[in-house]
Order: sequence, then structure tokens, then C-alpha cells
Amino acid sequence: MALTTAPGPTRRGNGSVRPRANRGAGRNRHGEGLAGYVFLSPWLLGLMAVTAIPMLLSLYLSFTNYDILTPLSEVEWVGLANYERMFTSDPSYWHAVQVTLKFALIAVPLKLAAALGVALLLNRAWRGVGLFRSLFYLPSLLGGSVALAIVWVNMFNRDGAFNSFLALVGIEGKPWVNDPEWALQTLMVLAIWQFGAPMVIFLAGLKQVPTELYEAASVDGASKFSQFWNVTLPMLSPVIFFNLVLETINGFQGFTAAFVLSNGTGGPVDSTLMYTLNLYISGFTNLEMGYASAMAWVFLLAIALITVIFFSTGRFWVHYSDGER
Amino acid sequence: MHPATPPTAGAPARQAHRTPATRRGFLRRFLATAVTVPLLLGGAVACGSDDEAGSDGKVELSIFWWGGDARAQLTEQALELYTKKNPNVTFKKTWQANQGYFDKLATLTAGGSPPDIFQIDDNFLTEYAARNTTLDLNEYKDNGKLDVSKFPESLWQYGVVDGKLAGLAAGENTQGLVYNKSLLTKNGLPEPTTGQSWEEHIAWAEEVSKKAKVPGTMDASAVDKAFWVWLRQQGKDLYKGNDLGFTVEDVTKWFELWKGARDRGATPTPDVIHEGNATDITKQLVVTGKAATSWVWVNQMPELKKNTNDDLGVVAYPGDPSAQWARAAMYWSVFRGSKHKDVAVDVLNFLVNDQEVVKLLGTDRGLPSNLDLRRVVSDDVTDPAMKLSIEVETKLAETFGPAPQVPIKGHSKVRAELTKAAEEAQYGRLTPAQAAEQFYAACKSAIA
Repeated sequence: MALTTAPGPTRRGNGSVRPRANRGAGRNRHGEGLAGYVFLSPWLLGLMAVTAIPMLLSLYLSFTNYDILTPLSEVEWVGLANYERMFTSDPSYWHAVQVTLKFALIAVPLKLAAALGVALLLNRAWRGVGLFRSLFYLPSLLGGSVALAIVWVNMFNRDGAFNSFLALVGIEGKPWVNDPEWALQTLMVLAIWQFGAPMVIFLAGLKQVPTELYEAASVDGASKFSQFWNVTLPMLSPVIFFNLVLETINGFQGFTAAFVLSNGTGGPVDSTLMYTLNLYISGFTNLEMGYASAMAWVFLLAIALITVIFFSTGRFWVHYSDGER
Repeated sequence: MHPATPPTAGAPARQAHRTPATRRGFLRRFLATAVTVPLLLGGAVACGSDDEAGSDGKVELSIFWWGGDARAQLTEQALELYTKKNPNVTFKKTWQANQGYFDKLATLTAGGSPPDIFQIDDNFLTEYAARNTTLDLNEYKDNGKLDVSKFPESLWQYGVVDGKLAGLAAGENTQGLVYNKSLLTKNGLPEPTTGQSWEEHIAWAEEVSKKAKVPGTMDASAVDKAFWVWLRQQGKDLYKGNDLGFTVEDVTKWFELWKGARDRGATPTPDVIHEGNATDITKQLVVTGKAATSWVWVNQMPELKKNTNDDLGVVAYPGDPSAQWARAAMYWSVFRGSKHKDVAVDVLNFLVNDQEVVKLLGTDRGLPSNLDLRRVVSDDVTDPAMKLSIEVETKLAETFGPAPQVPIKGHSKVRAELTKAAEEAQYGRLTPAQAAEQFYAACKSAIA
């Protein structure tokens, strides 16, 4: 995962990211290369078997009418028909695209903001701050688990814990997870609540900001906000960039919670029909695996495109203090 | 579900960093894979069939079904009985909840290792039969190895797809409106009866809502089996040949009927209706106390009863009960590529025609298909809920109309679309007419 480590905060300045530059010229490159591949082989074989081959197969299938039940030897080549259908005659496809975009556009920035905010609060030498760090990190350990989603659904039912709490302060709640206007927002809150992973990365980033910079700033009479804006944010920008890329990709791939909340249907009334859930339903419930494969490839290309956009705009706002890149 | 995420999470990153050199390699590898993989898999499938028992005569059959713990216990006992009588045959048993069952079955089939025997229902029978995944049982029926002579004619025929006997009815059921008897008695309300009209049912439900303070009836507009019965009462059907058996006006009328019911307060609120639409059998609204009735199958009554302390009753769906039919609650099918077809069919025959086993299994998969044995079982039954469901269904069987054709390919999509459109109307986001238009268009493309 070259992408995830390159801009990371811990590699700054020590040159270990560019091993080739340090190589002596007289070494036997070939023998070393071979040894490298040998050491790599367990990973490489795994990659081929569980990622590369299935991916390529799915690319092939995306041009066929494969329906899972028919043997692969009997599938028919349908050319671009699956892609054509996706873009021209499948309203639920575009609906799923909208739901996913809405989810990612709202949940990802809020999650990052929450992570950064809490990281700033926890980046102090208060007593017991370690405990709080662990507590805030806890939800993300639960990850995309099914159990968590089930708890969430029960909490945000009409007679769930959240409404009981609202009733205490005299507000009448809604059937959040069973209301098409609110079900997706409930999922967003779940995603935002799991801000622990980016928070820990932000914390690590904050620790790396040299204290001299703050000292110099306060000598110059900069306010706390001005210090945050002119020192913390620029120094943290590689970490923000890293978190943004990662969380965006995660956001687009939200599946488990939507699947559990809607019993695998994307309901109520398709309000939680995330892209991956729609893909899953097409492939496994409607048995249109060829079509689902086409969806997967469009999805892959879309995420790749978004990542490329991030990287190409990154140079305008991501600041690497050692001048790298 | 969860493991699906990590492998792809890294993929776009790799994609973004791909250099021109690897892209060329990628193309080459793709072409190679595209050509060889299907050949390999095709070859594997082709040489995998028609190989009878091993040299020692031992046969292990894999069998897969959905259901709860109770069903699992009964089925395991039944299979043990078979092994006792045929010591050379053993079983590899797999079972799971209904949710996800068909995903798993499809995946197993795709992986080239489907179970020899599997449970299936009319939502998917045609999908599997049309793709020749199921063994045609006609041959065994004709040579007497599979005996359906004691079955009601329309019941075994409900397993016929394109002239092939694709599934053997494991039991019979029919639509049943289950109601909370205790609640009605407590509030001095009359019980619903078989044969009351839809209007009468809704008026009755309105009355229940007012007096008992519990919504009188679950909104059935998203319940495909209710829509189906209603259509048959209008002289229509869900499917006709390879097309839909109804018009968009029929759907509008159906959705309007229920909009009327909601406006009169006969049903729960839309979010509760959604809960009822989305849930499995153990959390039907009549069980959770959120409605006085639920739209289920008659044979599910005992299962519902296990989840509530209230007394339950069951009648036919409203309207003329002759629109209901002897439906195969579920089928047993044999994989066409099974290495032990003859043995598998013999197991099927055993499960439906052996008195000891049928008595053991009871009504868990519906009323026993074999009428002689059904009588034996109903004489023996002690569980009052089961007794009642047998009585009601036996009574209804006297007026059953002819069975409709087995749902066609795309049926599971049609059901999902019905739920979606009905809920659009329930939440008031679309008018009944708009929702009907949407449903009809979606159905057309689902079965195309």
C-alpha cells in the first residue's frame, strides 16, 4: 500500500522511503532482486490468489451475462451491455450513487473534524488523558462489526435508548432507523462516532509539530486561533491528507451497517442503498453477477479517479516540512 | 460481510500508482485469464458428474437447509433414521437462518460444490430450474422411485417448471391471517372470519384500533402473497406465462385500498409497517404487540405462538378463500450434477413418505404432503397451536382453487420492488397511482 505510507508523518526526513538512493553502485543487483522476490513471494502469491485473479476474472465477467448458477463455461459475452444498462436504464443504480455520495460528502468531513477536534483536546499533558485517548479510540476497534450495527439499530428505534433519552428532556423522538428521511443520517452518525482511528493518527501528527514554532508564534503575539491556523494546520496537512484519502475510500465502501440496518434490502425505501449494498443485491439476490462485476469496476475506477484528484490537488495545500515531494 | 472491505480498500491505491509498464502486463494477464479460467472451470464441471458410490459402497450426501434450531434437530433426527436403515449412507448437514441462505446456496453452486440435496422455495425454484441446476425428478416419479401418488395433485405440480419436476414439495401451506385472540377477547371484540371481504376486514381493524388501542391490522400492501390472493380474487394473477398477470390499474387499486385503511387508522404508522415488512417470522407485529394481525402462512402459526404468551387464532386472508391454493411451503431439490442422484432421490422419498419420519417432522415444513400421513400426524398432534393450524388448513383445502404457475425468473426482484413501492405510498412520498406506475415499470424490467 504505497499510498498509505508515503505521505505518513513518521517517515519524514530519514530517507528510508527511498532505499535505492542509498545503494552502493557495485552490488549485484540481480541476486538482490531475486532474493527480494523470494522474500516477497508469500505476499505475492496471496495477492495473486485472493485479489488479482478474482479481480481480473470479475473484469471479464463484467462483459458477460454471468448469473452465478450457470457454469462459467456457458456464459455469454455481452460486450458493454452491462455498462450501458448501468448508465442509461437502471434508476436504482443512480439512486445508490446518490446515497453513497451524500453519505461520503457529509460523514467523512464531520468524522475528520471530530477526530481532529478531540485530538487537539487530548494533546495536552492533563492527568488521565491516556484513559480518555483509549476511551475515544474504543469505538473504532469495533470497526464495521455486525454486532455494533445491531446495537445501533436498537438504540435508534422508535422505542430505543436514544428516544428514551430525548423523552427525558421533553423532546419527542422519531423512528430514526425506520424513517426514510433519517435512516441514512443514523448511519452517518455511526460512522462519525468511530473517529478513533483518524484521531490517533492526528495525535501522532500533533506530537511531531516542533514546540519552537509555537514558542516563536506566541513571542510574536499570535493568538491561539492564529497559532492553530498558521502553525498546526500546515504542519498537520500531510496527516490530514492521509486521513482524508483513507476515510473517503472507507466512506464510499460503507456496507455492513447499511446491510444490517435494512436486513440486506437497502430500505426503508432504498434510503440506505449504498453502492456496495446495491452491488451485493444485484450479484447475490438478483443473481446478476455480470452486472454486479461491471458495477464493481466502475466503482473501482471512480474511487481511483477521486484519489488521483486528491493527489493532484494535494500539492496546493499539503505542506511537507522537509521539502519532500 | 465485513471481510469484503479490506481487500478492496487497497485496490484503488494500487490502481492510482500503476505505471505504464505494469499496465501492459496487466492487459496480457487479463487476456490470459479471461481465456483460461472459464476453460478450466468448465472442464472441472464437465468431468465432475455421474460417478456412483465409492468402491466400499459408502455414500456421503451433503444436505443444506434454512431454519431454526428446532428444525435442525428434527431434520438431523430424520436423517439419522435414514442412516439407520441404510448404514452405507451418511450425511454432511449444513443449515443456517433464512437470511443469507440463498446467497450462500448461489455461491456454493458457483463454486462448483453445491449440496446434493437442498431446500428451496418458490421465490427461487424457477431461477435454479431454468438454469438446469436442479435435477428433473420426473423420471423418478414415473418409475416409482419417488412416490407422489398420495400428494394432492396441485401440490406436486407446484414443483413443475417448464415441464420438469424441479422440486419435491416438502410440505403444504397456504396464506393465513394470524390474529391476537387474547387482545380481542379482552376488549370484547369479534374475531375475524374466513370469507369476510377486504372492506369488512379494514372496518373491523379500524374498530380494533379504536377500542383496543392496538393497530387492528398490519398494512398488507407490501406483502406479495396478500397481493397475489387479492389479484386472483379479481380474476387476475401475479404471472401469466412469461409476463405479468395484472395491470398497473390493479396495482393502483390495491395500493388505494390500503391507503384508505391507513387513513382510517386501521394500520400502524409507516415506520412500524416497515418494521413488519423487514422482519423475520419471530418478530411479526402480532407477536411484538404492535398490531392485532399479521399476514403469514397458516403453518407458521405454531412458530409465532412460541414467541408470545397471548392466544393466537388464524383464518384465511379476506375475500373469497378459493383464491388461495395448496402451496408448496418449500421444496427439496437435488443438484443435477450430484454424484449420487439415485440415493439423493431415495432420501427425498423417505423424508415425505415414511410414516415414522413424517410423524417426527410434524408440520415444521408445512402440512405433510402425503395426505395419508397428514391424517396420521393430525390425529397425533398435541400442541394446540399446531392442531389449530392443521384444522384451519384442512378446512381451507376443501375450497382451494387451482394452483397458479410457479413464480417466474425475476420473482425475488418483483417482491423487493413491491415492498419498495408500497412503502413509498405508506410514507406518503408517492400517491398510490405513482407508486403503482413505479412498481409496474420495475417489474417489467425485472422479468425481462
